[in-house]
Amino acid sequence: MKQDPEGKKVLVIQTHGVETPRRTYSPLFYAMAAAAMDMEVVVWFTMDGTSQLKKGEAEKIKLDPRSDVTLQTMLERAKEEGIKLRVCQQSMTLFDMTEENLFDGVEIMGAATIIELALGSDLVMNF
Amino acid sequence: MGETVKIGRCLIQTDLHYLVDDHCWVRFNDDGTLTVGITDVAQHMAGPVLHVYVRKKGLRQKGQNLATIESGKWVGPLKAPVSGEIVEANEALEKDPGLVNRSPYGEGWVVRLKALKLEQEREALLTGAAAVEAYRRKIEQQSLKACAEVAACESG
Repeated sequence: MKQDPEGKKVLVIQTHGVETPRRTYSPLFYAMAAAAMDMEVVVWFTMDGTSQLKKGEAEKIKLDPRSDVTLQTMLERAKEEGIKLRVCQQSMTLFDMTEENLFDGVEIMGAATIIELALGSDLVMNF
Repeated sequence: MGETVKIGRCLIQTDLHYLVDDHCWVRFNDDGTLTVGITDVAQHMAGPVLHVYVRKKGLRQKGQNLATIESGKWVGPLKAPVSGEIVEANEALEKDPGLVNRSPYGEGWVVRLKALKLEQEREALLTGAAAVEAYRRKIEQQSLKACAEVAACESG
């Protein structure tokens, strides 16, 4: 029997960034599917996944050369759909990132918060 | 009976009502229900639809999800244009989601609603020339390539 997805909490963990463009698109696509089904969605960027949130980086990643859609387009769409974008504070230092050069609308969080988020989620997807 | 207006290669039926920002159309049926679907513009932007996940029942407030529509390059909701109860879902879409592409205003309809607050909420729905003009503006403002293609077709 199908479960009603509405109101379920989904946590997507993205550990891949600009060095592996093909691994950046799908997690956001899943997140948008969940949001479209009226679920509460958080995408947590950590480890290498953090790199795509450095200002100016996501706009360089185009997944389909025939399309104008860049990774930045995907991140903007995710925000428009109400998806919460969160980044790991500790990982930011790996890429010389600060609050100033962070993609707009992303909230910085620490490890304890992500554990709490994971415990409170109905589904955790790791990428 | 309304007419069909072309904006680029996309069709707008003037007898339907639209929430342009949500790419949603509404037909007022004789039995008091509303039929809801996605517009021809939306299906052009999405490309070939692969899955349509339709809610089969329940009360939905305006803006809540009625269905989730997924193509190879896009996934998004069909949001309730008005608050209401789903009285029928188009189950044919499960087997043939391409109906949304081939017949967005006909066999590709998504749900039928019994509206709850139509008097308060119908004002936001545009119809006739106003809907066509709003859609024309929407297409011009869109920066995505799919939309640019749609707009470009108008002159072609």
